Amino acid sequence: MIQAQSLTKWYGPTLAVDSLSFEIPRGQIVGFLGPNGAGKTTTLRMLTGYLPPTEGQAMIAGHNVADHLDTARKCIGYLPENTPLYPEMRVEEYLRYRGTLMGMGPGEISQRIGVVTERCGLSLVRRRVIGHLSRGNKQRVGLAQALLHNPPVLILDEPTAGLDPIQIVHIRQLLSELRSEHTILLSSHILTEIERIADRVMVIGRGRLIADGHPETLVAKVSGASRVIVEVKTQPQSLKRALEGIEGVGHVESHPQGDYAMAVVTPKGSQDLREAVISVVSRNNWALRELRRPTATLEDFYLQAFKDLDNNTHKISA
Amino acid sequence: MKVTLSIARRELTSLFFSPIAYVVLGLFCLGTSLIFILFYYPGQPATLRNTLFWVVWLMIFLVPAISMRLMSEEFRAGTIEMLMTAPVSDAQVVIGKWLGAMGFYLALLLPIVAFIIVLACTSKPDFGPIMTGLIGLLLVGGFYLSIGLFASTVTQNQIIAFLLTVFVICLLTFATFFFRDNELLPTWARATMTYLNINAQFDDFAKGLIDTSKLIYFSSGTAFFLFLAGLSLQSRRWR
Repeated sequence: MIQAQSLTKWYGPTLAVDSLSFEIPRGQIVGFLGPNGAGKTTTLRMLTGYLPPTEGQAMIAGHNVADHLDTARKCIGYLPENTPLYPEMRVEEYLRYRGTLMGMGPGEISQRIGVVTERCGLSLVRRRVIGHLSRGNKQRVGLAQALLHNPPVLILDEPTAGLDPIQIVHIRQLLSELRSEHTILLSSHILTEIERIADRVMVIGRGRLIADGHPETLVAKVSGASRVIVEVKTQPQSLKRALEGIEGVGHVESHPQGDYAMAVVTPKGSQDLREAVISVVSRNNWALRELRRPTATLEDFYLQAFKDLDNNTHKISA
Repeated sequence: MKVTLSIARRELTSLFFSPIAYVVLGLFCLGTSLIFILFYYPGQPATLRNTLFWVVWLMIFLVPAISMRLMSEEFRAGTIEMLMTAPVSDAQVVIGKWLGAMGFYLALLLPIVAFIIVLACTSKPDFGPIMTGLIGLLLVGGFYLSIGLFASTVTQNQIIAFLLTVFVICLLTFATFFFRDNELLPTWARATMTYLNINAQFDDFAKGLIDTSKLIYFSSGTAFFLFLAGLSLQSRRWR
């Protein structure tokens, strides 16, 4: 549904996007991650036809953006960064204006305004002036205009930026509802949000794709993901000795916790040690207070990926 | 056409929401009224020729104040990205914006209707030259607005857009005026300067003449700057 083939963008002597290629099939929600200046917005702008690529091409719903710009644009609902709107217009008046620009007829516009304002929770503010709306509602107006012409593809540049946690949950729910009808590519800095709703995550750094996959698959790559933390009533030394006897254990750290001892068990590989730890604890008849295997988050993966990217750059420059 | 008119309508409405529009309307009412009163006394011919001559001078500063925000504001607020990712051409945007500003300009000229009524009530004016004068004023406004629209595609700073417009209009008003009689210039250059002078072109309309060459001057000038505005808008994508 969305296809990027060697997309490259130079701003004068600066390379913003470096030969980026990916393909997003119908019905996927894809999170587009990367630090500021990584080239996310430039990539999204090339996909929407706002900026022409220096090299490469973008395809939306089978239409080449460069050759069939207007057809491709009709297939995209786009929400740019910071949700630029006309503050002096009323919500309904603005949506009507957008509908006309998208080439819709008056009857179709009225019908779709009813649908999108209902869906985006704007029914009560349809007659309000956009400049007087809260940030969350402005964001909803931005989403409503993107959905107005019922496009198969939604491209959203940081749709949750600057919103409070409740507003973020609302936007997340809305996006989840839309997944059945639209292919969605959204960029964000809020990694927990992406982790919850995206089927796939693409991480971009210095204009290049540095990771691409299902959030869980990416998270599993982070080292330290399979550590086990255990807290039992015994001496730290005896706990450490017992745990070190388990096959596959790489390293054990233990500390006193009042009458209890806490140990962090790191395996040699990526295996799950919880069952082995439990059997050691029950064999020794220790009172167990806690056993957990903290899982890494997308944030851990993200930080790790950029640490690796920095290290590689240092190596190359050294 | 529907899209162009829709852009024009939005532009016109938003102009009425900006405080600068009311400053322009106020200054225009005040300025033209003073000019009208200055030439309104017994013994004067019942025409608007003198009034309209000075109104053209007033427009050098008032029209750029209308046009300075046309594109600059879209760049500054980022709404240009919404506009240019809709299936809309650069030409539709430029013409729509210009038509919207022309709508505001028409509203600006309304006080002149009051002067015509005053003249009609107190004497027997010749409506022919008044009408041609108004047509001339419309052409001048359209030309100035196209220059202003071009200037506002160049920058996102409204003050710079304003100053650039005033500068170009001043070039066409003063520079051509001073150089048209400069004997150091060759004849063809002096003829060009005379032709390019806006006031000289407008004067015939105020006298009651509609000359095709003057019509061509204003319409081709307007089309030229609208074309430049379109080019400038397109070039932003390649920078």
